[in-house]
Amino acid sequence: MKILGVSAHYHDSAAALLVDGVPVCAVQEERLSRRKNDASFPIGAIEWCLDHAGITPDDLDAVVFYERSMLKFDRILTTALRAFPRSWRSFPQAIKNTLGEKVWVRGIISSHLGVPREKILFTDHHASHAAVAFLTAPVRRAAILTADGVGEWATLTVGRGERRADGIAEISLEREVRFPHSLGMLYSTFTAYLGFAVNEDEYKVMGLAAYGRPTMVDKVGKLIRRTPDGAFAIAPEYFEYQTTAGRSYSSRFIGLFGPPRNRYDPIDLETADGQRFADCAASVQRVLEDVLVDIARNLHRETGLTDLCYGGGVALNGVANARILAESGFERLFVPPAPGDAGCALGAALYADRIYFRNPDRDVPDHPFWGPAVDAGELAKAGREDNQAVDELDQAAMLERIAGELADGRIVGWMEGACEFGPRALGHRSILAAPHAREMRDRLNRDIKYREDFRPFAPVVPAETAGRFFDLPPGGARLARFMSGVFPVRPEWRDRLGAVTHVDGSARVQVLEREMAPRLHALLEAYGRRTGIPVLLNTSLNVAGEPIVTRALEGYSTFRRCGIDVLVAGNTLVKKRAAPPARASMQERVASWA
Amino acid sequence: MVSPIDGLLRPVHQWVWGDFDRRVRKLLAFAEVETDGGRDILRAAELTQDPLLRRLYLEHAIDELHHGNLFRERGAALLRLRATRARSLFNGNPLPGGHGLDDLRIEGEPDHRLLAFLHVAEKAAAGRFTIYRELVDDDPATRAIFEEILRDEVFHMNYTYTQLARISPRSHRWQIWRARGNRLWKRYLRVAVAIAAVFGTAMISLLYFVVLPPFAWFARRAARRETSGWSPIPASRHQLPDSRHSQY
Repeated sequence: MKILGVSAHYHDSAAALLVDGVPVCAVQEERLSRRKNDASFPIGAIEWCLDHAGITPDDLDAVVFYERSMLKFDRILTTALRAFPRSWRSFPQAIKNTLGEKVWVRGIISSHLGVPREKILFTDHHASHAAVAFLTAPVRRAAILTADGVGEWATLTVGRGERRADGIAEISLEREVRFPHSLGMLYSTFTAYLGFAVNEDEYKVMGLAAYGRPTMVDKVGKLIRRTPDGAFAIAPEYFEYQTTAGRSYSSRFIGLFGPPRNRYDPIDLETADGQRFADCAASVQRVLEDVLVDIARNLHRETGLTDLCYGGGVALNGVANARILAESGFERLFVPPAPGDAGCALGAALYADRIYFRNPDRDVPDHPFWGPAVDAGELAKAGREDNQAVDELDQAAMLERIAGELADGRIVGWMEGACEFGPRALGHRSILAAPHAREMRDRLNRDIKYREDFRPFAPVVPAETAGRFFDLPPGGARLARFMSGVFPVRPEWRDRLGAVTHVDGSARVQVLEREMAPRLHALLEAYGRRTGIPVLLNTSLNVAGEPIVTRALEGYSTFRRCGIDVLVAGNTLVKKRAAPPARASMQERVASWA
Repeated sequence: MVSPIDGLLRPVHQWVWGDFDRRVRKLLAFAEVETDGGRDILRAAELTQDPLLRRLYLEHAIDELHHGNLFRERGAALLRLRATRARSLFNGNPLPGGHGLDDLRIEGEPDHRLLAFLHVAEKAAAGRFTIYRELVDDDPATRAIFEEILRDEVFHMNYTYTQLARISPRSHRWQIWRARGNRLWKRYLRVAVAIAAVFGTAMISLLYFVVLPPFAWFARRAARRETSGWSPIPASRHQLPDSRHSQY
């Protein structure tokens, strides 16, 4: 059976293809269109998936959309009605936006792919999150928690999943918290207040939180109260996301926390305002963690299960995830590599296969590499045409060479095999660097990623030696498989891992098992043999504002534009030649080619 | 270099650049436009099969992204200088964006068409920036930015023409005329869409105030009866045979 899952229209659209119950490929539209967070209908991703599997739309048994678009429209309309007449500004935009395209999903899919309408299915948004969290995890039964900004109406759900002895999988979501009460929207409101981009920069709030103290927990507590049944409710007077499209926080919110940050002002932690923003971030982070831990703890008590599968955009918050693992009572916490809306494409396809069609459960390969593969020949050709130094070496020599370059302080762009599905670079499209000196972090932030200097970088470490450098609790290595948890760096290593140790002594570590990415694992070992520390700084191969690269040429253009010294694709290595001064005019730069 | 239309529009430009708030907004909008344009050209560099064009596009994209940064930094500096009405516009809201003023499609476009488009766009920008440079005489820092960008735009204009003549020696003039025609057509479409949007908004707003009030009353009444906290999810939601086909 061939099932195509599609997510689209809000943020991060994607497509995923399932053949006989096993994923064959999955890719976000942004990786192909090169437009960050591309939310358009993912026709490029769908075409790539079909091409990759060698099938046509006629071969598909079902196309599954990840949410019920009319139910979402129902929420938008109801919310506007409840806010009447304050919603008069946002209403026309919402109606044009929704009726213009978003509710006609069946027609859009049918016209793009030419599949009959009866083959087009729908799942609940949070059921898609739940499916990708549970059905990709290597567990028999588990509690399920999903949390995001909002799906159709639900913002958070709990339930359980089971793979029965007869091979049938069950997912049952038992209860939900409904819009406007939303942990995701609470966090996003602070993201906007702190001058960052909503639905994109929430991780900056998490990074900033480490610089602050949670001195405003009481104030954040006014925004969200716990309900007697263990859920939560927001205080609507502090928010405007439920009434207008213009701003997510209200004047009362500003009255409580002070003036918002202008997004063009750098955050200076030496100033009172900078510290206030950091304290805001720390406070909302603390409240988010407390609520999630409490909900997870209750879920553990109620189900008596040892494993928790956790999906939705909020599951990208690694600090909260680590606390859930440590304090909720669950022994293991499974967060998929794409817990957000992109992952819902895969979740919707899995849900249809296992739940709608009752096909027997199949193990899903436990890795994130479902996207297009890199072509090393493309890199070699481009490098040679541009008179760069190109080397093609066998694997052993290549790894030794790269380890040497890294040990010498060079920054390496690393492309290998199929690209990751999800927002994180997990070893196939990465920038790698020596993790030892804080100057390396500053250099990466300044010359390569062009981003705020408070942002931390993540380390990658082989599973065999992870415990030596990082204080991983039981279950921590699993959570760190897809870089989903933030854990302390052991104090004795913090100075020697300065580039990857955040200000609070933590790191969002990736614990790498050999089978998942054997070449990167071998590189870590080679680097360890040279330096005694088999740890590398691992960040996504892109610059700020751009999606992670997919093809070799995209990696190459990134390499040429920023301070990456060496670019590797498979067994091809390109080393940058000395370039003219960065701000020479194009005329001077072109003249220098001769 | 200044086109007759821009010459005629000079009072409008003066009106925009003469006001502090509008100047800040314009600079920040330019930052987005230049950055988006840079990304488009970057994409062209990644897609072209012509090695020389790839190198040139890459350098061009680096320039455009740099221009975006110059505008962004200047706009931010002005914002810090003085509180403006613009300040509230940038909190929690994306800036007006899009992929360049002349929304450019890169995928599947042949190089000659892209070069012609870039040549025409750079020439128009150079003409306009010449006027802007004169209008910000009171602001040396902004003027210096326009001077730097203007110098780059002239080079972009020249290299795109040279390359167009190289890859399309017999039809490059025709390509440029065609690009001009397309530009005019897109301008017309932009204006038409904007007018349609105004009419659409007016109609929906009218409906909002005329038709919605009774429904709003019912919706608010229903909202008051809703309890916060957990809501049970009925098991039947997924078990009904037609639920899989339902968008509700």
